[in-house]
Amino acid sequence: MLLGDRSKYLMLVGGLTFAALLMTQQCGVFIGLLSWTTSHMRNMRASIWVVDPKVEQINEIKAMRDTDVNRVRSVSAVAYAVPLYAGILQARVADGSFKPVQIIGLDATTLVGRPPRILAGRLEDLRLPNTVMIDELAVTRLSLDPKRPLRIGDSFEINDREARVIGICRTDRHFFGYPYVYTTYEQALQFAPPTRKMLSMVLAEPAAGFTAEQAARQIEGETHLKAYTEAEFSASTLRWFFRNTGIPASFGTTILLGFIVGVAIAGQTFYSFVLENLRHLGALKAMGASNALLGRMLLLQAFTVGLIGYGLGVGLTVLFGMVVMRTGQPPFLLPYQLPLATLVVILLICSLAALLGIRKIYKLEPAVVFRG
Amino acid sequence: MANLPKTEAGHELAIHVRGVSKTFGQGEAAIHALKDVDFDARKGEMLMIVGPSGCGKTTLLSVIAGTLTFEKGEIDVFDAALQGMKQRAITEFRKRNVGFIFQQFNLIPTINLLENVSVPLLINGWTRRRAEEKAAATLAVVGLAGREKDLPTMMSGGQQQRVAIARALVHDPRLVICDEPTSALDKDTGGHIMELLREVARHPDRCVVVVTHDSRVFKYSDRMAEMEDGRVERIHESFDQYANKQGL
Ligand SMILES: Nc1ncnc2c1ncn2[C@@H]1O[C@H](COP(=O)(O)OP(=O)(O)O)[C@@H](O)[C@H]1O
Ligand SMILES: [Mg+2]
Repeated sequence: MLLGDRSKYLMLVGGLTFAALLMTQQCGVFIGLLSWTTSHMRNMRASIWVVDPKVEQINEIKAMRDTDVNRVRSVSAVAYAVPLYAGILQARVADGSFKPVQIIGLDATTLVGRPPRILAGRLEDLRLPNTVMIDELAVTRLSLDPKRPLRIGDSFEINDREARVIGICRTDRHFFGYPYVYTTYEQALQFAPPTRKMLSMVLAEPAAGFTAEQAARQIEGETHLKAYTEAEFSASTLRWFFRNTGIPASFGTTILLGFIVGVAIAGQTFYSFVLENLRHLGALKAMGASNALLGRMLLLQAFTVGLIGYGLGVGLTVLFGMVVMRTGQPPFLLPYQLPLATLVVILLICSLAALLGIRKIYKLEPAVVFRG
Repeated sequence: MANLPKTEAGHELAIHVRGVSKTFGQGEAAIHALKDVDFDARKGEMLMIVGPSGCGKTTLLSVIAGTLTFEKGEIDVFDAALQGMKQRAITEFRKRNVGFIFQQFNLIPTINLLENVSVPLLINGWTRRRAEEKAAATLAVVGLAGREKDLPTMMSGGQQQRVAIARALVHDPRLVICDEPTSALDKDTGGHIMELLREVARHPDRCVVVVTHDSRVFKYSDRMAEMEDGRVERIHESFDQYANKQGL
């Protein structure tokens, strides 16, 4: 009823749109980035991850002794345990340039740690000598001519050894941005420069009758290695990123900034809007409008601009998300909880803004309408 | 229900004020705006409260209208006794019984005339549709039929005050309160507004109280209450009586 002041209206909607956009978009990018830190877990799936006791997060490799696989196998709560090699090696493209790739060496018998989605070829062909399965990112990175992408049967070199492509898979993009190249454990050892310890981790499954947690604790007790369940490893990885990088802090700052800008603009504009209309609000009060009625009116108007700003902000975020999904570059995830959370925060901002005005109205004496 | 006494001449009373005092501030700085005020207003009349600036006219109007509390005395307005009434009840009283007309019109500039005039009905819980029907009819009464969709800002001062009168009347209040309704208008326009207000007062169950120091419009009053320094000093039974006393 009172929101006819176009410039204030635009200011309110603009401020709230900006706040909603900033908060949702930055949260989305942040969640996307965080999800990249645990991509390994989705690209090599296992119930239990056994690593060197010093390892706190999945992107950190501390090599173990080959014999550790057998030590894990000997734990009674373990159904099976297989070795895994993970390392970043240089791939040589046909034109002679080098590109870093993430090599994953799987146990040849079970192929545990396999890629999540195979698009072409058969994983079993990895048992043939000098073969690899590469992900889509590797196809773009390692192809010379985009019009003639790498396909099954083509080869490139890893550390002067031939790597023949037997399949293409789809993986979740990793934080470091290296393409995934899957091969067998033995083959990976051929590609990698020889060192004293080559085993990166051991993937295991609990025996029947044991949960992953029980098996993990038992492995730790008997081998003095570190064993994580999937959930534990994800959590530990995220904790590590929160503790050891400035990423959460910098995103937190931006998100807080969005909130503060929202509160400041909405609160300030709304309050001055109430002040400017005090004469009319006083008149309404004199005419018998109760505090509750005027309060509801103010809240309704605050929520109206809030919902418009929210809609525009989240709409722009989704638009941003769609563009990003197409180019696939910056990380971005928009779980449904995120827009909901933004909605709650925006309505909170609007309530805060309206509350300032409502307080003013409660204290307003209806007799002021007769004063010049 | 406070049964108001009739006057000796048999007029029915609309407002009955006895011994009302109002003080602003405390101690040294206290301003005694109303000092033991007694006065009556009758049904069907337009009573004018006149007097020099600062004598307490607006304060008296405010306590009668229920927009200001007072510390001493009794006020009966039609069948409501205002002294000791709870805030909620007073708000309810204003909502049903009082129409307000202000010096600066106080129309909401961003909504059209129809919506402005509907406001008291909406506050009284009418549906929007019914409220706007009634508002359109009331706008026609003040001579503004066909202007329903116009914005107040497009109108002259006199026209805006007509809209304000429509808004003050739309919910059929028994008491209509006007504070300096003509001060912002030129003489002719002010005269038209006062004529309209006098018509409004010609209703067996209504009373119009006008506060003004605009002597150009005194002649439109039925009776005049002359205030001085927080008191109603004299009641003049007609403008002529007032004019004689002033030696005009
Ligand atoms: N809210 C207030 N606070 C303090 N003093 C007030 C207030 N309202 C009115 N007064 C004082 O009360 C006296 C009467 O004021 P008012 O009723 O407005 O006079 P009038 O309407 O006749 O000009 C004046 O001295 C004025 O300064
Ligand atoms: Mg005054």
